[in-house]
Amino acid sequence: MSNMQNTSAPVRRHMGLRASRALGNTAIYALLIAISIIWLVPFVCIVLQSFRVESTWQVGYVVPQQWGLDNYINLFQTDFPRWYLNTFISALVTAVLQTVIVLCMSYTLSRFRFKLRKPLMRFMLILGMFPGMLTMIILYRVLKDLGMTQENSVPGLILVYIASSGMGYYVSKGFFDTIPKSLDEAARVDGATRFQVLKKIILPLSKPIVIYTILTAFMGPWGDFVFARYIAFGTSKGMNVAVGLYNWLNKDQISKFYTMFCAGGVLVAVPVTILFMCLQKYYVEGVTGGAVKG
Amino acid sequence: MASVKLTDVKKVYDNKVTAVHDFNLEIKDKEFVVFVGPSGCGKSTTLRMIAGLEDISGGTVEIDGVVVNDLQPKDRDIAMVFQNYALYPHMTVYDNIAFSLRLKKMPEDEVYEKVTNAAEILGITEYLTRKPRALSGGQRQRVAIGRAMVRNAKVFLMDEPLSNLDAKLRNQMRAEIILLRQKLDTTFIYVTHDQTEAMTLGDRIVIMRDGIIEQVGTPTEVFEKPRNIFVAEFIGAPKMNMIDTGLVNEGGRWFVTPFGAKIEVTGEKKEELARKNVQPGDIRLGVRPEHMVLTANGGEGSIPCKLEVNEMMGSELHLHVYTEDGTRLIVRVPTINLTMEQREQLVYGAQLYITFEGKVMHFFNKESELNLIYG
Repeated sequence: MSNMQNTSAPVRRHMGLRASRALGNTAIYALLIAISIIWLVPFVCIVLQSFRVESTWQVGYVVPQQWGLDNYINLFQTDFPRWYLNTFISALVTAVLQTVIVLCMSYTLSRFRFKLRKPLMRFMLILGMFPGMLTMIILYRVLKDLGMTQENSVPGLILVYIASSGMGYYVSKGFFDTIPKSLDEAARVDGATRFQVLKKIILPLSKPIVIYTILTAFMGPWGDFVFARYIAFGTSKGMNVAVGLYNWLNKDQISKFYTMFCAGGVLVAVPVTILFMCLQKYYVEGVTGGAVKG
Repeated sequence: MASVKLTDVKKVYDNKVTAVHDFNLEIKDKEFVVFVGPSGCGKSTTLRMIAGLEDISGGTVEIDGVVVNDLQPKDRDIAMVFQNYALYPHMTVYDNIAFSLRLKKMPEDEVYEKVTNAAEILGITEYLTRKPRALSGGQRQRVAIGRAMVRNAKVFLMDEPLSNLDAKLRNQMRAEIILLRQKLDTTFIYVTHDQTEAMTLGDRIVIMRDGIIEQVGTPTEVFEKPRNIFVAEFIGAPKMNMIDTGLVNEGGRWFVTPFGAKIEVTGEKKEELARKNVQPGDIRLGVRPEHMVLTANGGEGSIPCKLEVNEMMGSELHLHVYTEDGTRLIVRVPTINLTMEQREQLVYGAQLYITFEGKVMHFFNKESELNLIYG
């Protein structure tokens, strides 16, 4: 009898632990699922609205009565393709240039030791604390003089986006700092130039951070509204998607364009969603990788 | 294969700390030179200046007669092995070794030949397709050596290559480096803080302290004729015993008087004392632990002392003893010379008598710490 008690007691405690852990997990998952549903509702609504044919105006229900692609087809009768192209080009060019600049900057600050390195970093930190909006008016004047506003807004926007990109070096510099310096030295002794060290050693070892840099560089222009609106200055051909779609929400336009607005929104989300789904693994690694030793 | 010449080489960091003071050294073609010294003595800094990884603050470094001060590491034609291996983690062993050759745009079939050849010499052929993280420490170090080997560089630099290995592997790799050296037949500069490595590997040893060369010489020279107390204590393990004592001259015969005992200086040392015109007086006497012997009680030359620690090293005992005035000494006794009964008596507090011969003594000036004969 006493024997039985002795053996069963630890078993029961073990089961108790497992059961309580299962209970905890269930609660956490239930909460997370609830949050995801709340979070997804607006997206689902927009997607459903974009397929609605019976009315272009807001209606009191979510699921369309008549399904169709009319809204998407109609989009191509408007300036939407032009906006989309504007956005895409500026985002793509910015992503490429900004990535190059940020990575070079990070490598330099991580690996080179020069007199003004520390003051420069401090200066950029302080400069970064001022909101970019402060420069908006003067930027507009300068770009207007250069002929880079309104219809020609794309090069102007690219210029604005990449102008201060060197200041976004923190995360990738933090990542580069974790790569042992002796790798650089070994490669340099092996006959590599500084650029070859970056290309052949540092970058392959920093894939997550490179992808993170590309993604953030792409996302900025893709979702920009304020600068894009200001620089386009009401000229439809110079707008990006955010500005163009927003204009459809005017009081006198909304009844005609509401479902097309939703369709446009879906199209805007598509490339970003694909990008993130492919690269989310690296993105998370990138964010946390930099955060540990930022 | 090349000579290396350092003239007044200096390293001053931005914070005005001088790491290396006026370093002068000529390394002959195919010579194996070891820089040795305690950490922070500037040995790695000097090596890195030769490699081009540190700026040279003053003086010149010549490789094969060419001043290389302003050349990039890649243009100096050197190969280097790092303490932490510095293998490229994203490349296979093969790619690691081939890296420098591919940078030189060598045809791929030649690369293959060189890499497989090096891998064979180092016994890492079966690991060529692995990534470095799947290798053990010893294997990684072999890859690092292989990477340096294939370059056929003029000078082979090694920065504490064995420090990260465990003791057993270190001994094995040390022997392999000696073999490798015979195969490569090139100029080696090797940095270590381990005096055993320095003694066993080097044709010549450069002993450094605080950025200054204390002595340059063959292993035998630095061991038998240390220029000063620092070198005497640094080379040899356990370190040399130092005794403050008097040196007296009685009618042409020299004596030292440690702890009331009286031991005559004999052999070569006696002649050298006379030749160098050394004056009697207070000196610091150096005697290596292996030159001290246990002796019977009493006698003019015996020093009474008490046993503190008895370290059993296998083939020998390291006896840590202290004399009446509290000076601590170490005596190395071959186990084979003692009977079991004698060994059992070597316990804490045991009364012992030690002595040493006149020909094994080293005499140092108490103030300048220089060797009175060889300093």
